[in-house]
Amino acid sequence: MQAQYSSPTSHEQSRKTSRIALLLILLLAVITLSSIAWMLLRGMPDDTQTDNRYALIADIYQDGELLQSINLNQVNTPYTFVVTGKNDCFNEIQVRPHSIGITTASCPDKLCVHQGFIDTSLLPITCLPNHLIIQIRREACVIPDALTY
Amino acid sequence: MPIRKITTLALFTTLSLIIFTVESAIPPLIPVPGIKLGLANIITLVVLVAFSHKDALLVLLLRILLSTVLFGQTMSLLYSLVGGICCFIVMVLLNHLLRSHWLMITSAFGAISHNLGQLWVAYLITKVPGVVVYLPFLLLSGIITGLFTGLCAHFTLQKLLPLAIRLPFYQKPDDDN
Repeated sequence: MQAQYSSPTSHEQSRKTSRIALLLILLLAVITLSSIAWMLLRGMPDDTQTDNRYALIADIYQDGELLQSINLNQVNTPYTFVVTGKNDCFNEIQVRPHSIGITTASCPDKLCVHQGFIDTSLLPITCLPNHLIIQIRREACVIPDALTY
Repeated sequence: MPIRKITTLALFTTLSLIIFTVESAIPPLIPVPGIKLGLANIITLVVLVAFSHKDALLVLLLRILLSTVLFGQTMSLLYSLVGGICCFIVMVLLNHLLRSHWLMITSAFGAISHNLGQLWVAYLITKVPGVVVYLPFLLLSGIITGLFTGLCAHFTLQKLLPLAIRLPFYQKPDDDN
């Protein structure tokens, strides 16, 4: 395996290498297509998104523990709260009608803040330094609270 | 290990550290954890092809340790280490199979396994199975950045190998160890 770069190879060997390469290229193509298909299927816009009869629930996890579940469709005025973790780390989470996001964080890269506000289950907000994950799920059922008033 | 080889490998380690530093100064294009160019992998691939897998492992581990000591957090060490080693194992295997040709394929699979390794660590740390939704994003970004890194390594080797052979201290890698 050492220093074979651009060294002459026999015809038989190079044919075998090309065949392996072709197989691997096919594998790459399959991975690419299935990834794109997965993203498209999960990211399909849905008319239940802002429908108040459906629950759009944001689950906030820290260290694998469910801290809070917020129904984003029942939020009328935006509000913020702070989640603190180990080593003085914190994330300020803002809840808006139909969306949720992190506005300030103590982590060095601020990737969670750059992710902005999410309103689909496509991509959860993750702050790896602070072990925080915000996931959105949509309950297809009609919630009783919306019916009682 | 002869001093010339130590010097050469130190040079490559420095190069990968510089690339790593410059890359981390670039703001992330896509705000998804784990998605980055991984340009420092060019050096790992170059050393793997031009020298041997032992030397490449040495350069990789030194780069990860030094970058953590110099500007990292302890958290990023675990991610880099697992990702780097996953990537390295896959690249060594594929480089052997493909006999150092088709570097773009080797690099793409290396990048994919790097991302898979990091996703696995993220799952172990956060313990939320939901991190799996990142999988298609990480696979796709791994393929794109891996192909690019492989292309860079290919052109680097094209220029570097004839140059390295002409240098007075260049030794055929087989003579060492």
